[in-house]
Order: sequence, then structure tokens, then C-alpha cells
Amino acid sequence: MRQVGDGLQLNGQERLFLGLTEQLTRPLLAISRLSELANSGGEAPSAEYWQVVQVMADASLQLAESYALSLRVHGQATSLALEPIAISSLLYDTAELLAPLARQYGVELELDTGPRMQPVMVDRAVLLSAFESLGQVFVAAQAEAAERLPVRLSAHRSRYGIVAGLYSGSAHLGAESLRRAQAVQGRARQPFPQLVGGPAAGVFVANSLLETLAARLHVARYHRLTGLATTLRPSCQLQLV
Amino acid sequence: MHILLIEPDAVQANIYRDALQKAGCTVAHAVSAQAAVHRADERLPDVVVLELQLPGHNGVEFLYEFRSYPEWLRVPVILHTFVPPSELAPAAVLCTELGVCKVLYKPATALADLCVAVQTAPIVLEGRE
Repeated sequence: MRQVGDGLQLNGQERLFLGLTEQLTRPLLAISRLSELANSGGEAPSAEYWQVVQVMADASLQLAESYALSLRVHGQATSLALEPIAISSLLYDTAELLAPLARQYGVELELDTGPRMQPVMVDRAVLLSAFESLGQVFVAAQAEAAERLPVRLSAHRSRYGIVAGLYSGSAHLGAESLRRAQAVQGRARQPFPQLVGGPAAGVFVANSLLETLAARLHVARYHRLTGLATTLRPSCQLQLV
Repeated sequence: MHILLIEPDAVQANIYRDALQKAGCTVAHAVSAQAAVHRADERLPDVVVLELQLPGHNGVEFLYEFRSYPEWLRVPVILHTFVPPSELAPAAVLCTELGVCKVLYKPATALADLCVAVQTAPIVLEGRE
């Protein structure tokens, strides 16, 4: 197959937008085909039909909003509202937001935040959007895996700070995986085949959001699981208080 | 008619499966290339409906493996994929090299068109032979 970007000169944001449009095609297609199926039946759509439509629509909206937020913050149209955040509570909120999508795909979510950790100074909306975008990819990836394993949202301490991210038993990610995916993102239809079959736009949107917090996604291992996480430094000011 | 549907997205797979079952087909679903080979081994499909963008090994790799088995050489394959036809090899090459009898671009293909393509696939393949 030729690459998507053959002959196209795209900058980073354009490539991210291209990946995003390909990603959004999927839930919109599901809604369209589901409507076609419901209309062909001659009966009124069931409650289950509306539930699927809602989940797909919400996932699309969330991803589009996350991308728009990353653009606004990068473009300095919106300033960061930094506040002390407990990572465990943020991961809990992420799990709550991902729960409908995970239920739809039959994927289990696990939360593992360990003992109490120092708060970090971040913009809550930005970090939450990043984890939610990343979570969409992990839920889809787990649904595609041969063995249905849970997706774990986890935070733990390391010598570099607090490592928070999503992990899966079926994600076969090496150190080079993410780097290669970022290099071909927007130019390859499957930039991250080790993780998921589609554009995996949520990974790159999440990374774009984290960059506004002077952080980045990296491949991480924790308790024999592999995943994508970011390392956040606890606030020294808050430690003194 | 027994269909092997190779579709990684569970929501879409349910939709296509329901549509094909309404059209009178039985459907076996696989989410990956490896799972698809196992499902084809369990029961010989009459038609394979294949998404090219699969986790791990992609649809093209699956096709080469699928065609390496003599008993599966004559099974018609329909590409039902997010990859636009403009990014694929010419249809004639796909047909002669990999036995692809039709290429359907998902966003532009209604469920009714998919069902028609599935039901006419064996006829198209026989005509080309």
C-alpha cells in the first residue's frame, strides 16, 4: 500500500489533524451503518441501538474536544490553569469517563494507584483529556486483542517522578514502538500496529496535550504490563506546605 | 452461505454481522489475521470479507498466508476497508495475485451494497476463472 502522506508536505499539526479525521470516521461510520440497519428492520430502534449511538458519538466528541484543546493551548489562545492535582483522583475520573466505551467493547478497566502520592501541579482539564484520549485507544486495542485482558490505569512513584498511564497485558510495546509511530503518524494508515489496527489518533492527541504540560508519553512497564505513560514531577512547593 | 468476517472493531463487526445474517448468511467473526486463519480452519468460508487494517499482521499479510493453503485458493475475498481504492494496487493485480474479487471502501459502502457484493462474489470469481 502506498503511504497516506505520499506526495503531501504536512507539518506536525496537519498530520495530527489527518490522523484525527481518519479516527473520527470510525465512530461516525458505526452510527451511520447502525442507523441503516435499524431503518431496514421496519421496527423502532431499540434502547441498545441508542446506547451504541450515544457511546460512539460521545467518544467522537471527546476526541475532537481534546484535539481542539491542544490546539488552543499550543496556540496560546487558552492559558493553563495550573492547580495541585492528586493523580489517583484524576485516573479515577478517567476510568469513570471511559467506562461506557469500555462496556460497549466488553473491556474491563482496572484502577491501580497504590499508596498516597504527592500532588502535581497541572491543568486538570488538559491532563484528563490526555488520559481519556489515550484510554480510547487502549480500549479499542484491547477489544481487538485475541485475549481479552483488562486495561489498567495506574500511577506509581519512580525516581523521576510520578509515572501515570495506561497499561495492558496484550500491548507489545518496545522502546522504539512509540518513536516509530510518531515518525509515521499522519503518513501511515497504521502508525501503531503493535497496539491497535487503526490510526490510534488518541495517542498522538494525548501526546500533544501532554506537551503543553512539558511532559510526553513514553513506553512504560509496570508489574509485567506494558503501556503508555507520562512522568510528572510532584510539586516542590506543595511538599514544603 | 458462510461468511468469514475479519473486522477488528467490535461495534462495526456486530453491525456487519447483523446485516449479513439478515441477508441469510451465517457469519464467523475474527478480529485479527491469526484468528481468521483459525476460524477458516474450523469451517471453510464461502466468502471472506476482509478489513486490511488489522492489529499485528495486516490484511495483505493475511491474504498471502490465506492463499498459501491449496484448500483456500478458490475462496473469494472481498476487501471491505478504510483504505481508499486509490491507495491500493490496481484491481486487476489484486484479483490475479490475491484473488480479491471486489474492493469496497467502507465509508462509501452501504450495508445493502455489502450484502449484494457478498452474494455475488462467488459468481464474480467463477466468471474471472
